[in-house]
Amino acid sequence: MTRGSAGAAVLVLVLAPPLLTSNPFLLHLTITVLLWTLLGAAWNLLGGFAGQVSFGHSTFFGVGAYTTMILYLKGGLAPWYGMVLGGMVAVLVSLPIGLICFRLRGPYFSLSTLAVAEIVRLVALNWEGLTNGPVGLLITTLPRVGWGGRTLDWESKAPFYYMIAVLALASMLATYRLSRARLGAYLLAIREDEDAAESVGIDTVRAKVLTLALSAFFTGLGGGFYGLYFRYVDPDAVFPIALSVEMVFIAVVGGLATVIGPVIGAVFLTTIGEMFRERFLVGHLIFYGLFMMLVIRYLPEGIWGGARRAWAKRP
Amino acid sequence: MMRRLLTFALVLGILLMGAAVPALAQDTLKIGAPQPMTGPDAPFGDKFKKAYGMAVEEINAKGGVNGKKIEVIIDDHQAKNAMAATVAEKLITQSKVLVLTGGRASGQAVEIASVAQRLKTPYVVDHPSADIITAKGFEWVFRNNPTGSIYPQAFNKFISEVPGAMPKSAAVVYDNSVFGKTISNSALTFLKSKNVPIVNDEAYPVNSLDFKPVMTKVKSNNPDYLLMVAVATTDAILLTKHAKEIGVAPRAFVGFGGGFGVEDFAKELGPQSQNVFSSAAWSGNPNDPTVKEFYKKFHDKYGIWPKEHEVEGYAIVYVIADAMRRAQLTGNVDADREAIRQALLKTDMTTVFGKLKFGNWAGPLGDPYTNQNIYSPDHSVLAQWLDGKLQNVWPKSNAETSYVFPDNTVKR
Amino acid sequence: MALRARPDPVDTFVQSVVSGVLTGSLYAMIGVGLTVVFGVMRIINLAHGELVMLGMYGAFWAHALWKLDPFVSIALWAPLMFLGGMLVYRLLLRPIIPGGELNTLLYTAGLSLLIANLALFAWTGDYRTIKLPYAITPLRPFGIAVPIPLAIAFALAIVITAALYLFLSRTDPGRAIRATSQNPEAAALMGIDVERISMLTFGLGSALAGAAGVLLAPSLYLYPTVGEILIAKCFVIVVLGGLGSVSGAIAGGVLLGLVESLGAVYVSVAYKDTIGFIMFLLVLLFRPSGLFGVGKS
Repeated sequence: MTRGSAGAAVLVLVLAPPLLTSNPFLLHLTITVLLWTLLGAAWNLLGGFAGQVSFGHSTFFGVGAYTTMILYLKGGLAPWYGMVLGGMVAVLVSLPIGLICFRLRGPYFSLSTLAVAEIVRLVALNWEGLTNGPVGLLITTLPRVGWGGRTLDWESKAPFYYMIAVLALASMLATYRLSRARLGAYLLAIREDEDAAESVGIDTVRAKVLTLALSAFFTGLGGGFYGLYFRYVDPDAVFPIALSVEMVFIAVVGGLATVIGPVIGAVFLTTIGEMFRERFLVGHLIFYGLFMMLVIRYLPEGIWGGARRAWAKRP
Repeated sequence: MMRRLLTFALVLGILLMGAAVPALAQDTLKIGAPQPMTGPDAPFGDKFKKAYGMAVEEINAKGGVNGKKIEVIIDDHQAKNAMAATVAEKLITQSKVLVLTGGRASGQAVEIASVAQRLKTPYVVDHPSADIITAKGFEWVFRNNPTGSIYPQAFNKFISEVPGAMPKSAAVVYDNSVFGKTISNSALTFLKSKNVPIVNDEAYPVNSLDFKPVMTKVKSNNPDYLLMVAVATTDAILLTKHAKEIGVAPRAFVGFGGGFGVEDFAKELGPQSQNVFSSAAWSGNPNDPTVKEFYKKFHDKYGIWPKEHEVEGYAIVYVIADAMRRAQLTGNVDADREAIRQALLKTDMTTVFGKLKFGNWAGPLGDPYTNQNIYSPDHSVLAQWLDGKLQNVWPKSNAETSYVFPDNTVKR
Repeated sequence: MALRARPDPVDTFVQSVVSGVLTGSLYAMIGVGLTVVFGVMRIINLAHGELVMLGMYGAFWAHALWKLDPFVSIALWAPLMFLGGMLVYRLLLRPIIPGGELNTLLYTAGLSLLIANLALFAWTGDYRTIKLPYAITPLRPFGIAVPIPLAIAFALAIVITAALYLFLSRTDPGRAIRATSQNPEAAALMGIDVERISMLTFGLGSALAGAAGVLLAPSLYLYPTVGEILIAKCFVIVVLGGLGSVSGAIAGGVLLGLVESLGAVYVSVAYKDTIGFIMFLLVLLFRPSGLFGVGKS
């Protein structure tokens, strides 16, 4: 099985669904899964590989979302360009954040990212001139776009699906390339023991800043997509702590520092969440919490880690 | 490697299939209602569940709609916008509901309205108050209850019509939510137009734990009126409690928001709730015998007196049923949704909430409404907590008793 | 209408300070439990807020069913939560710890969801308060409003903290806890049963959380998910004071209470939380091991 044909297989698998089904809700779920995959993979770069556990990634998500919405609603810039710009603004924002937070280690780093995220949220809530405050920004119509001779139907899920699929695949590809590059090795060294890595001559600051920028970029892209797909952005939707925590869950449950981990995490958490909500109107989060606890208890390396272990043990 | 990939894909497929369970084919007319059933908003979701339940029971007992039974399917959106979109999509495409209602909080309602508009399903709003929901030209969205900017109307009338009631100064404390901002904006605009000096204009974060600092600040300005806006019951209770503890001494405490109009307010505050005004807890005209009968029926069934939320939820089911009755339903979901929409445009009825006719008109702050109840400006009432009971006091036509003003529990 | 006298600006200032200190002391109580657990086991217990919530509900039910005043029922709930905490540690947490700090943290996040939603299921989401007859009119020494339940809670918090101090400095288990907190390996070499101490510490942390909940209940309101709001404040406090430092948590709590109160009155109500977070970041940057400098990185 060559790498090329494995890659082709993945491509086919990911791009197939809109052709296999036209059930809009199923596609909506898959889009949600892919968005979470993107976010989980983005977080994974910094948290899984570099071991820098950030609880403030919602900052980049929200910045991407608001950039996209503001540029479209107030500036007329098509949201797909806005999305990319959103990613870039997120990168810009990540620089001062890195400057402040990377001075700290371990839980102090994590909590500082949380503090930053909360500050940004409160600013977005109160700076009405820019963000419209709690009322939020709503897209009522998306621009007309031609594609292969026909206008894109924004009522169909297909265009959104392909967009997010491409983004998710890009993030997974980036993860793959990172894991093979020298930077990946540096990050793992930093994760194990930052001081030792420094003493060996690794420029830990540069490595961390670069990784954070990459991580922020993809997260920002995800935020832009959120605005484009869900059409409505308000501070509580894109800057909440719960979002940051969910990103961590996905990466950890799937399997830290792996390419396929975020996909698995996203699939499991989304479908399990849906199933429980379907069954239990009020009590579903009880089971969700229980599920989390069970996975961490019995699969401490994430589902992918556990699966690999089980596979290796087979007779 | 290939085998792993394939097994993974298989598992993925099965899981996704399992999650999107198709609705059982049933011969009922389905209404979808996303509500918060978990999280801090859960008590409100429960209120709507009770209200819808009672209305559905009554309608079905009388033979349903043109012989068919109706059903309200509630799904938990956890007070999250993205989840509200997911739930709305699921109700529309999987459960194939004919109409949506509910939402409860404005953020989620905006998302639901966006989905409903795109997926061409009528969304008949029962409670969410953000003006933006019916101010974006969505032809599939209708609203029975008043918008946030209309809420303060009765209060405005009170201070204009009662001799000596115009505030000599006002402190406005509101939460940083859509609700809080809209209502405070509306109230402030009116007060400023009457040249009332605003001595405090304070936005607080929802679910604050401590209002003593805010009230200390307010007290230092000695306001003639204290206006408090709270979307959360907990904030409403604490605002009032801390205001009184710190010793703010206005001629009137005026609360805006659901939290000031629920039974819990007096239950939890006891004597501290005395004389607090509650604006816009519109829950029908209590002087109307049909409405009184409804209150009693509800109380007998559930043990609580219905207020704003319960009345709105109960009424909306009747509104939807009325539209369904007039629409020629064929069983084709898309055609039926359009037929119901057409029927809604012609709605002209009275529910326990009040009169209803959907129309296009401009709101008090200039928002262009579409499909907003044209009688909404009448659906604003000023009530007051007297001896643990919330009683309407203004305008006179809706009043159950006379008002107490200035507040005689406060030492000045 | 006669002109009413405006309050003296000095009064306003004193009132701000008093409110800030009183509220801050309760925040501090919540933080102490969290910091003690972290100091010994390096676990950030995200379910801590839910333990406080359980304490609050305990006080509520004791009052509703048995007419027990919360400041009396604390003597019942603190020991119960101590035992409960030890059980939780032994049965649930101990197997997770080898998985690493991040896993443990996420495990407690799952636990927090579980507990909060079980509470929602059992007791419904309706808001409740504890109505005490003496709670309505505040004391007014020198014209400064001091709510009675808050004052009692403050006094009890001081007593509990003093007791904690004595325990940690004068008793053998207390000293063992401090030793383990400073250096688990050295402590083990000195013959301390680290496992047993960890279990004891978690029980202690839970008891403190529950006690904080009981003290807080008459001044706040109860609903199952109140834990998530409390825990956010909690983190700021313990990091401010230095993870692992009890005195730090107390100082951090009072400081945060003061900053928020003064910030609200003199700067801006809307941004008062932001002020707290900015202060938090500044401390982290210039004194990352916390105000009392005992936190470890």
